[in-house]
Amino acid sequence: MNRQDDLRAFFSHSVEENMDALYGVALRLTRNSADAEDLVAESVGKAWFALDTLVDRTRFRSWIFRILRNCFISARRKKSVRPSEFHYDELFRDDGDGDLASLLVEQPEEFLTWWANPERTVFNDILGEQIMSAIDDLPQSFRTTVLLINVEGLTYDEAADVLGVPAGTVRSRMKRGRTLLQKALWQHAMDAGLNVTDNPDECRT
Amino acid sequence: MTSATDKTEPAEIGCLEAIEALYAYLDGEVNDPQALARIEHHLGHCRSCFSRTEMERALTAQLRKSAKSRAPAALQARLRSIMDKF
Repeated sequence: MNRQDDLRAFFSHSVEENMDALYGVALRLTRNSADAEDLVAESVGKAWFALDTLVDRTRFRSWIFRILRNCFISARRKKSVRPSEFHYDELFRDDGDGDLASLLVEQPEEFLTWWANPERTVFNDILGEQIMSAIDDLPQSFRTTVLLINVEGLTYDEAADVLGVPAGTVRSRMKRGRTLLQKALWQHAMDAGLNVTDNPDECRT
Repeated sequence: MTSATDKTEPAEIGCLEAIEALYAYLDGEVNDPQALARIEHHLGHCRSCFSRTEMERALTAQLRKSAKSRAPAALQARLRSIMDKF
């Protein structure tokens, strides 16, 4: 097998392995399947022609996710009538209502125990929809970070590589994103009139 | 009095510190054994943080299940067609 055949075989195999993950992240970024498919196709095309920039083949996954992210940002900038309206990193602002201390106060033990209860299967489908709705409502940078790590299983270092930010930023985005997610679910539970105190609060320690 | 067989308890940390480290802990990103021991010691003694940890585990599992997508057949065919031209 010559070098070109080797590259082609490696690339095809790697794309096949990551097809679902690329589509999954693209879908959450673009929020519609047609745009997601276009984004993945564009990313794969660009990735092939940039293959010589992939120094370490074991890092293919984070490398192609980074290309996907860059294609998405580029497409958003092109589509935007006023590019300044797109604030990719807007969400570092601290609105003061999502800090960890307030979270501890706002979410009672009963809610946490109710949520984590493995017997709560009857709500799983509904909660699945609520989670995805809450994910879609997350600011862009937090949504991408949570998806890459919690859904696609990237490490913080890999996510940092994809997002082009330090690992410490990934760590803080995870905290902030997950905190916002939890607050949204708490609100969903309250809006649905769920009386979490009806569920026994087991003492586990 | 401490005997030679006594195990040293990890240093105590508070709830806020435990929650600060919670996501990194659940994501397997706490590599310092002492930090890990401190978090686990706290979770073993604090029901509130333990519940929070279980909730976060359940949320991650549900998130993974709900957000996993499969590339549509049309996209798979499109990508293979693109790659065939390389």
